[in-house]
Amino acid sequence: MHKMHNTPLGRVFDVFNHIFLALLGLATFIPFVYVIAGSFATESEIAARPFFLIPETITTAAYDYIFSTTTFIRSIGVSVLVTVLGTLVSLLLTMTMAYPLSRKKLLGRNLILNLVVFTMVFNGGMIPTYMVVKSLGLLDSLWALILPVAINPFYLIIVKSFFQNLPSELEESAKIDGCSDMGVFWRIVIPLSKPVIATFTLFYAVFYWNDFFNALLYISDSAKWPVQLLLQQLMMVANMDFGEMDTMLADPPEESLKMAVVVVATVPILIFYPFLQKHFAKGILLGSVKG
Amino acid sequence: MSLLSMKSRKVKTNGPLDTNQLTKTQQLLKDKWLYVLLLPGIVYFVLFKYMPMWGVLMAFQDYSPFKGFWQSDWVGFDHFQYFFQNPDFFRLLRNTLILALYDLIFFFPAPIIIALMLNELRMQFFKRTIQTLVYVPHFMSWVIIASITYVFLTTSGGAVNAVVEYFTGEKINFLSSPDWFRPMIIGQVIWKETGWGTVIFLAALASVSPEQYEAAIMDGAGRFRRMWHVTLPALRSTIVILLILRLGNFLDQGFQQIFLMTNSLNRSVADVFDTYVYFVGITQGAFSYSTAVGLFKAIVGIILIYGADYLAKKLKQPGLF
Amino acid sequence: MKQKKKSIWMLLLTFIISALLIGCSDGETNTSDENNDNNQENTNDSEAEGNGEPTDISIMTASFTPEPPDESSPAWQAIEEFTNTNLDIEFVPNSNYDERFNITLASGELPDVILTGKTPSFINAVDDGAFWDLTDYVDEYENLGQMNDIVKNNISIDGRIYSLYRSRPLGRMAMSIRQDWLDNLGMEKPTTIEEFYDVMYAFTHDDPDGNGQDDTVGTIVSEYEGPWDIMQTWFGVPNKWGIDENGELYPHFQDPAYREALDFFKKMYDEGLVNEDFAVMDPAKWHDAFVNGKAGTIVDVADAASRNQDKMIDADPSLEGAVDLIGAVEGPNGLHNLPTTGYSMMFAISKTSVETEEELHKVLEFMDKMSTEEGQNLGFNGVEGRHYEIVDGVYTPTEDQGLVYEHEDLNQLLTFIPEERFLTAPLQEIEKKEEKVMKANEEIAVPNPAEPLVSEVYSRQGEQLDNIILDARIKYIVGQIDESGLDEAEELWMNSGGKEYIEEINQLYQEAQ
Repeated sequence: MHKMHNTPLGRVFDVFNHIFLALLGLATFIPFVYVIAGSFATESEIAARPFFLIPETITTAAYDYIFSTTTFIRSIGVSVLVTVLGTLVSLLLTMTMAYPLSRKKLLGRNLILNLVVFTMVFNGGMIPTYMVVKSLGLLDSLWALILPVAINPFYLIIVKSFFQNLPSELEESAKIDGCSDMGVFWRIVIPLSKPVIATFTLFYAVFYWNDFFNALLYISDSAKWPVQLLLQQLMMVANMDFGEMDTMLADPPEESLKMAVVVVATVPILIFYPFLQKHFAKGILLGSVKG
Repeated sequence: MSLLSMKSRKVKTNGPLDTNQLTKTQQLLKDKWLYVLLLPGIVYFVLFKYMPMWGVLMAFQDYSPFKGFWQSDWVGFDHFQYFFQNPDFFRLLRNTLILALYDLIFFFPAPIIIALMLNELRMQFFKRTIQTLVYVPHFMSWVIIASITYVFLTTSGGAVNAVVEYFTGEKINFLSSPDWFRPMIIGQVIWKETGWGTVIFLAALASVSPEQYEAAIMDGAGRFRRMWHVTLPALRSTIVILLILRLGNFLDQGFQQIFLMTNSLNRSVADVFDTYVYFVGITQGAFSYSTAVGLFKAIVGIILIYGADYLAKKLKQPGLF
Repeated sequence: MKQKKKSIWMLLLTFIISALLIGCSDGETNTSDENNDNNQENTNDSEAEGNGEPTDISIMTASFTPEPPDESSPAWQAIEEFTNTNLDIEFVPNSNYDERFNITLASGELPDVILTGKTPSFINAVDDGAFWDLTDYVDEYENLGQMNDIVKNNISIDGRIYSLYRSRPLGRMAMSIRQDWLDNLGMEKPTTIEEFYDVMYAFTHDDPDGNGQDDTVGTIVSEYEGPWDIMQTWFGVPNKWGIDENGELYPHFQDPAYREALDFFKKMYDEGLVNEDFAVMDPAKWHDAFVNGKAGTIVDVADAASRNQDKMIDADPSLEGAVDLIGAVEGPNGLHNLPTTGYSMMFAISKTSVETEEELHKVLEFMDKMSTEEGQNLGFNGVEGRHYEIVDGVYTPTEDQGLVYEHEDLNQLLTFIPEERFLTAPLQEIEKKEEKVMKANEEIAVPNPAEPLVSEVYSRQGEQLDNIILDARIKYIVGQIDESGLDEAEELWMNSGGKEYIEEINQLYQEAQ
């Protein structure tokens, strides 16, 4: 996309485009800056100023509290483990299932696809799923956070359609060269799908990172609680059930502490994206084959 | 241009595999490796999606967790009848549908537009920075967003209302006015999820080859024609699929968001199925009733999915299958 | 081809490994289940031996900290030793406790003791015979036998007690007020609604903080409706249900005092004595205005006074003693205060896990022992010498957060029946006042006569019915509807199931008498 000739209108568009996107970036990012600022601010400042980007007095008290015990560090460790393992399992299962389904002549394909689409809108609900997880002996195991949600049917359908758009000539020539379907999948399809893999790595990783509900249902051992569950503990106490808030035994968590936990629980997954971004560009390869 | 369209057509056609002449057994044998690949996924769906599917039947029971599924009483369509005869049903339906339509019209295209705009940026560093910044709100919880929304929009010292007052001399009760409720909800969703939504479109755009652009330039296509004829078609199948899938959850709304933004003054437009189910199902423990409402939503969803897929095929667009 | 084969094997291996891993944890849970079963048997065995062998008790309760204690905690062990038990406590995050409660019910494996709210799920399970009826047992116990009658009535279902409540102050609702502002204006603490109005008027218009700016309001209210409920009770509005001269129950909004209270609220709003955005204000920011000196009163809970004052002193040490408390102000027909339910969730004892009366007695004995001074101290403060010291007779808790986590959530085992007996640090002035006000409020509490009644209509439509009335109240205060609008709302309430609700409640009420 270099050295394109640019019309005056195009140049106006460029200027507008840059300004608009820069403003959008600011608008989306500034509230997070407020959260970061709040995590370093004193309670009285948070109460006194409705919104600020730099605290008047900077204090690390909230972080000192968070890191005064190993609890949060351990829970981040749990989250990282579940996210890495879960993303690997999910990608593997999604890719291996999506590829055969992208082959239109496969017998039984339509039945399977219909059954998959069905699960996107119909589900058994919390209690029956719990029963299955329990009967598989997964309770209190980190696998309970991964296996019941290993394939997202939405992602499966999207990956399948990505595969469908791959040029079939490639597969055919590979087959002529003596590759089996399995060989085509691992040696041709997977290498060509880097942007897809990068995208769904991100999607699954973010999903696993943000999930707290499955941990709430399936994990009793607090040593295996992910960081989002701790965040939930702190955020919910004060907000949802305000009227019934049980503050008699323990004071409600301080605002700065809540914000610090948000920062601690969010930043690891945030920095994951820029790292993945460069892999999106590698999809160029795919196009060059087409041409 | 003709060159381009030919190319894209070529991509979609299937190879000349002469499977038609094979018997079913031969076909199964030939595709054995494909079935091996398929197997783990099928096991997953059977185990974790279809084994618990009996839960749907709770809609026809008075399910009691303690008694269990088999001991609970069957009540047929009682819950559905109660739901449809509820005096609030039409208000809930109306609110849900309007919000869903707003979402489709105003939110759905937003990530596509932003992805196209981002795609026009040539400075890689700037592009990646903006991409990263716009996706940050996805990670903020609704509790925090609701809190920040209040700080900005309140009539007692909110920044937005200060500006509005400066220009018009009057304040707007964004937070309490039923007229502003839907724009506010959609605005929050756009702010929170647009950046995240661009990820998939940017991935789709990554598969457009530079040669396609160069060919278009050769054809003398200007900036906007390139966008229209090269970039947008590359997104087409993704857009159609996402649209169809979105319809499956057409009646679903972010419960937490709406719950947090609802108050006594805007409740008339804010009550939707999801908040209703929350109150009835979770706070009042009516499992079966909320399952029945969920089942109703799911049936609407499945009809919309297949309807949209059918329509897409009619319009010669790539569908779900 | 070789390579392809390899990749297949890799794939298979991955699945086998993951299957194995699942298998492993499968084994683990099974063994722990077996342990439980064994323990159960042990319990039976130990009956014969009397008090010698420790009793096994499994408990599910809520957790508010990121790290609840486990068996290795010295506080946990001290409790076991003190009560001669082997405890198996499951701490469930408080944020979504109800879901876990339902799932535990559905799983069919109830712990001996389970924390629950008086939710429809619990009530249904009681109907299905899931929990022990404790009515005839609790009186045998020294502490549990001293339950507060109002609270006991509140937790009852059809007149029977199926649980032990976790006691909380009944008279918790109170108003915090800026004493220094009163002093600045030369006013006295209000004792009647008229005086309260005058104070709020002065707080709003007479520059109580002396900063020369018109930047204060009399009272601050948020989207949370509590303050209106508390204030209307001052006027004599019944707590949800009133009783007429024929002994029939009627909904609170049909009481003549209700309209009177609403007119007063409307006047407050019209004159700017309350923040104009109250209907939408984020409850999380509610107390900030009081802390910042923008509002002179806040009608909420008594214990908020010390929390708020602490924050105020942090920012400005000269504000020591600036906050005072008022339990309630007098209305046209006396002094009334809206009580809480007097408890925060309760413990039910499972009939499927605790099978015999002997076992039940062991469990109750444990709960009773936890209410003694020593039991409460262990549960609330942990172990002396590790979690706290007594320095010159003064209770001094540890500052080490790791040690705090070792015992903090164990306070979720306590019922505090009949009263709080654990050691506390010396109370600040304001905290002493809180205690005094809460005690005094119990005398003027307006109980809800229908609290123990379980209405089917309400369990289905309660939220919708409540919202009709609550929304109309807010709309009336801000002037969106007038008297006739209130009438319409009441009519809508009647036609949306309210009529049936009244009938049902009255029938239940008569039966219970």
